[in-house]
Amino acid sequence: MAPIVTLNTSDFADQVRRDLLQLLEGVRGKKNLVIQKDLAGTVSLCVKFSTLQEYGVDRVFFLENDNVDFSQRNVVFLVRGEKAKDAGMVAEQVKRLRSESPQDHEFSIFWVPRRTLIANQILEDAGVLGEANVAELALQFVPLGDDLLSLELEDAFSDLYLRRDPTPIFASASALMKIQQQMGLFPRITGKGDHAKRLSELLIRMRSELTTADSVSNRGSSLGLNPSTSIESLVIIDREVDLPSVLLTQLTYEGLIDEFFHIESNQVELDTSITGTTGPAASQSSTSQQGLKRKVQLDGNDTLYGTLRDSNFAVVGPLLNRVARRLQSTYESRNTATKTTAELREFVTKLPGYQAEQASLKLHTNLAEEIIKHTRSETFSRVLEVQQNIAAGADPTTQHDNISELIARDVPLPTVLRLLCLESVMNGGLRARDLENFKRDILHAYGHQHLVTLTSLEKLGLLTARGGAAANLVGSQAGKPGTQTDYPRVRRTLQLIFDDVNESEPDDIAYAYSGYAPLSVRLVQCVLQKSYLATLSAGNRGGGAQQLVAMASTAGTQGWRPFEDALKSVRGVTVDETQTGEEKAVRARQILSGAREGGQLKTVVIFFLGGVCRAEIAAVRWVGRRLIEEGKNLRLVICTTAVVTGDRVVGAAIEDNSFSR
Amino acid sequence: MSKPTADWERVGDRFYRKTQLYTSVFDQDLELENYVIAGAPYSGALAFYRDERKIHTYRGTQAAKSSIDIYSCAGKLIRRINWDQGAIKGLGWSEDEKLLVVTESGDVRCYSDLQSDFDPFSLGHGAEAHGVIACRFWSSGFVALLGNNNLVAVSQYHEPRPKLLAVPPEEPVVSWTLIPPAESLSRSVEVLLAIGQTIFVVDATDCEDRGLDRGPFKHISVSSNGKYVALYTEDGKVWVVSSDFQNRLSEYDSKSKTVPKDMQWCGNNAVVLAWEDEVHLVGPNGAASRYFYDGWVHLIPDYDGVRVFTNDICEFLQKVPEATEEVFRLGSTSPASILLDAIDQLDKRSPKADDNIQLIKADLDSAVDACVRAAGQEYSIHWQKQLLRAASFGKSVLDLYNSDDFVDMLETLRVLNGVRFYEVGIPLSYDQYMRLTPERLIQRLINRNEYLLALKIAEYLRLPTDNIYVHWACQKVKVSSDPEEEICQMIVQRLSGKPGISFEIIARAAYDEGRTKLATDLLNYEPRAGKQVPLLLSMKEDGIALDKAIESGDTDLVYYVLIHLRKKLALASFFRTINTRPVATALVESSARDQDTELLKDLYYQDDRRLDGANLLLEDALKQKDAQPRIDKLKLASKLLQDSRDHSFHAKALDEAQRLLRAQEGLEKDLSGDGAVTFAGLSLNETLHKLISLNQARRATSLQSAFSVPPKTFAWIQLRALVDSRNWNALEELSRQKKSPIGWEPYFNAVLGAGNTRLASLYVPKCTGVGPKEKVEMWIKCGMVAKAAEEAYKSKDLKALEELRGNFGTAGQDGVEIERYIGLLRGGKR
Repeated sequence: MAPIVTLNTSDFADQVRRDLLQLLEGVRGKKNLVIQKDLAGTVSLCVKFSTLQEYGVDRVFFLENDNVDFSQRNVVFLVRGEKAKDAGMVAEQVKRLRSESPQDHEFSIFWVPRRTLIANQILEDAGVLGEANVAELALQFVPLGDDLLSLELEDAFSDLYLRRDPTPIFASASALMKIQQQMGLFPRITGKGDHAKRLSELLIRMRSELTTADSVSNRGSSLGLNPSTSIESLVIIDREVDLPSVLLTQLTYEGLIDEFFHIESNQVELDTSITGTTGPAASQSSTSQQGLKRKVQLDGNDTLYGTLRDSNFAVVGPLLNRVARRLQSTYESRNTATKTTAELREFVTKLPGYQAEQASLKLHTNLAEEIIKHTRSETFSRVLEVQQNIAAGADPTTQHDNISELIARDVPLPTVLRLLCLESVMNGGLRARDLENFKRDILHAYGHQHLVTLTSLEKLGLLTARGGAAANLVGSQAGKPGTQTDYPRVRRTLQLIFDDVNESEPDDIAYAYSGYAPLSVRLVQCVLQKSYLATLSAGNRGGGAQQLVAMASTAGTQGWRPFEDALKSVRGVTVDETQTGEEKAVRARQILSGAREGGQLKTVVIFFLGGVCRAEIAAVRWVGRRLIEEGKNLRLVICTTAVVTGDRVVGAAIEDNSFSR
Repeated sequence: MSKPTADWERVGDRFYRKTQLYTSVFDQDLELENYVIAGAPYSGALAFYRDERKIHTYRGTQAAKSSIDIYSCAGKLIRRINWDQGAIKGLGWSEDEKLLVVTESGDVRCYSDLQSDFDPFSLGHGAEAHGVIACRFWSSGFVALLGNNNLVAVSQYHEPRPKLLAVPPEEPVVSWTLIPPAESLSRSVEVLLAIGQTIFVVDATDCEDRGLDRGPFKHISVSSNGKYVALYTEDGKVWVVSSDFQNRLSEYDSKSKTVPKDMQWCGNNAVVLAWEDEVHLVGPNGAASRYFYDGWVHLIPDYDGVRVFTNDICEFLQKVPEATEEVFRLGSTSPASILLDAIDQLDKRSPKADDNIQLIKADLDSAVDACVRAAGQEYSIHWQKQLLRAASFGKSVLDLYNSDDFVDMLETLRVLNGVRFYEVGIPLSYDQYMRLTPERLIQRLINRNEYLLALKIAEYLRLPTDNIYVHWACQKVKVSSDPEEEICQMIVQRLSGKPGISFEIIARAAYDEGRTKLATDLLNYEPRAGKQVPLLLSMKEDGIALDKAIESGDTDLVYYVLIHLRKKLALASFFRTINTRPVATALVESSARDQDTELLKDLYYQDDRRLDGANLLLEDALKQKDAQPRIDKLKLASKLLQDSRDHSFHAKALDEAQRLLRAQEGLEKDLSGDGAVTFAGLSLNETLHKLISLNQARRATSLQSAFSVPPKTFAWIQLRALVDSRNWNALEELSRQKKSPIGWEPYFNAVLGAGNTRLASLYVPKCTGVGPKEKVEMWIKCGMVAKAAEEAYKSKDLKALEELRGNFGTAGQDGVEIERYIGLLRGGKR
């Protein structure tokens, strides 16, 4: 019988590191590494640069810069193989090196995450396939935290919703399939959204194909045929279902850092005035070329950051104060309490940790102050005001003057677009005349190249006119029921507005947005925290709601029950599948694991297809803590295609070129 | 039953045995001396090729046709491959029984699975010009020696990449061999070349002279573990040295005037020399033994010994395995041999059997183990049985014994005896079988079309059987002459319910045979959509291929099909194909956006997607460098949208963009007097901002009216521009105006933010929208406490006044003023 394996996120990094190093070892001698820019951060999450050096990597070049030199005989490419563009770049550079270099080169190409037919074809057409050693590096999920796995597909959002290219779905399915092969099938798949449906279909299809291919490849993987004992279920949330939650400004500490400074692969580049001269995570940080900026590692290893990151920013100040006072008192205790040498020794052993904590405290105090500078600005509060009003369902036209003024004041384009998109999505589009006015304002203020931007936003369904002629621009589906989330209704049925949320002692997920509960996480609660949510909405409605509470509290309810009604007004189809194995094996397993069943912690995998933002992550973590408090043995692991912010979401549409020469 | 020791021979302090595997192997007419023979490792097939350097009897035109013949070890012809590609300079096998044929011109053919289909590749690196002299093979690759002494290595056959090794000196090579990568110290292939008096060691980067002086060496051979090298000197001596050439281990004088035709290692501890009908076995320390044969002798070295072939017999020469020696050696008193004796006694119903057991009681378990191991090494079924019975007997006496090894050995022997049968002709030794693995043995049986035996063994050993069925079906498809429906039906019927069957492979086989209909029928049974795609493509079922690719969800496959179609079809029919498939269209769009905008234009035109087309032109315009081409592109774009009512806004905006570009061009011309000024690339608002900053208010207002910028927006731009350019005069001017479209607070804030308190204070009275408290604040921010106090007084806010007093004290002019107002207020109250 299969051993009980738990999903451990750091295993993914270990696997990638082992694979990569093995591949590098296969190339004899020193080598130059050419890496795709967006892979560099991802790889750095798994392998340190110094380790790469130990394995013979001499210098690292970015593929996009096209500047690899002739200094080493061996040239190794590490590139994503899914897109023709990237493969084309590799082919070009191999050709360039071959024709320009005075010496012969040995080329190795490691495709991530797999060797594709298209890449083969392109290399073959370019006449370089025969010269390169081709291998693949299965880099899929990388851990961004002990409960957070990301595919780090930066383009996933624009691919999925703008270009309607389903590659990210397939990538997600293969990555999840890998988890299933190790852990066993997800016993239940629930999901919301059209793409979620597609993903679950793919998972089921891949499972059946795996079953047929099983004995061809190897017998050992037959484990994948039976439901997992350590995973409870998979919840898939399609980003399209809930766009407002990314468009709204995140108000957790980590969320705001991401909004203002852009966290990339757990690293954020900060001014030296913030980090101070001695970086807190000195080992991790490296000064970049400008000398004024330095990279700082932000992850759960920094205990202080671990406690701060998911807090609403309003309480970060007091928290920092408290830590500062505690540190101060322990430090001072050195004078009073250290009487014996033993005590002194104990104090000294604590000293390094204490110093690290002190440094981390300094960093985060500076960082928080920097963020306060932003949040105190008039435009920030104006933006926030507009957001909160729209989210709460106020008449959007009252906010129009504010938005116009912000445009006239030349606030960054993404900020404005986020507001307009938020309004459009929450109210099913803007009035045609208003929309036209805003469009004109935007073109005037930011340049006419943004005609492209506006068209893209319309394609994304982010900025549309209400009903009428413009509807057919969105795509033929517009106008049919279930293609738009009916926010006024959902706001009521799922309690999206939680006005007096307690930010210091969060009593609802709404704390992450100071009053707005992200729909995406509400959906997760529909699956996992039924009685809580039912009680919440019952308080609002009375009457038939009592029945809802009763149903939700019944132990056996699974899937979306009893929230099917509420879900109907949310965009996209609803998925609820159960995966069972061969009956005999299941029963045998039940008998075997029956004894352990009680105390065992089970994992729920929550997959955000198309991206998730930090505030939502914080909200899911809150749900996770709540579940533990409620005495359910569940552990939540968040998986996603990439961590996004509202700026990055609207940025997918923004045209970067301008008429400047 | 003859004693197992009958064919033992003592060489020095060790025993060697010669096991007769098969008799009457080859047809007496087959002149072995005229053939080049290569044997696959682990008792695999033999490849024969007529040695063209030798004269042979003329037997009519039929026999003159040259071919490569593949025989089993028992002399059964498995396949005949016709050959008309010129002189063969290398004939060898890989571990998985791929036959490699290298021609003089450097062309290589790799025949898999003992079939006559092959994958060709070419050596390159000048092989064509200089010609291939000879090749040496190892389990997964080979090295070719070219006419100019260059060495080309191929280390795998899946995607062969011939690599040039370091270049050795150009003198003639007397003999040569290689150390396979798995056995060499550097883990890459090393070639040993006997040149002149010495030996050169060549790897990928270095060519090193070993500095020997006893050459020239007529033969050179490396032991199967790569540790020892045997050298045959010109004066008839055999030298055995370690492969790093540091230690000389032994020497043997063959006393022969003729150089032997072959020298091979027998395992790792003896060297075999072969003349035409004479074989010398040279053991450690120069001890030797001689064998004589009736006919021409061929040596085929294997991992643990040497197979000797004549027309009549196939023999296996090996060192007697330790377990066997322990049991059977004359006068052996080892526990195992006593245990074997006990069985004899038992058969005679003699009580001595028990005596024997008592004698070795202490070592009984090791005796059982030894008997089990010895059984594995035996070829004779009688002795296998006898040894296993002994083991079984010993086992029964023991209280506790783990029988796993015993059971495994039983299974293994059944398999070995099965495949050793002369009709199958795979005389595997136990060690060879262990290295070959059961899976690969089954593959070999499949290659020999021994499906029943393969199935039986696979089931017996609990191994997957799907590839056996698939291979059978492929063969059926290829050779059966039944009607296609019947074949399909039969295959489906036979294979239904068997897990893991890949119908795609069978369908491909059918397609390759030209049975398209059958292929299509079979392909429908393939459960994996993705697998069907490549075959469908080659069958020219483009539409279905595309659908299946989309169905599989793997965009890579879809792209693959699309590229294929794009190359094959005319543009119009390409678009027609993707038109009805949104995913395909999206992917074409997405990839064309990165690579081929022309295609995208055509696509949008074809689909009448005007908005997208216009945007594409707009993007084009953005890439242009000069104003005129930009305007032209924009014109094209707006023309595209002209007729469509839905896009009127878009069209208007495009026109507006042109006007702006023109206006900017004009501005640049007009204002270039005082240094170059660029406006291109700025948005309308930015242009206005710049104009105001440059103190061109008049031009700004005219631009404002030309583009009908709302007054509110204009006011904001003006304010920002004036503050940014620190144009206090203009701002002061503004403060005299009665009304502002955006109120006066923004002015106050902006000017204050820029640090001009004096000017800021001018706006305070004009701010009508704020309450008195805020106004007090504003005054204070400007540093005008007295005014603040006045404001507070006006609103009769005593508290605020007292606060002011608290903050600023009572000293100085301000203090007096505050006091005064407080007094006034208090007085007023009283």
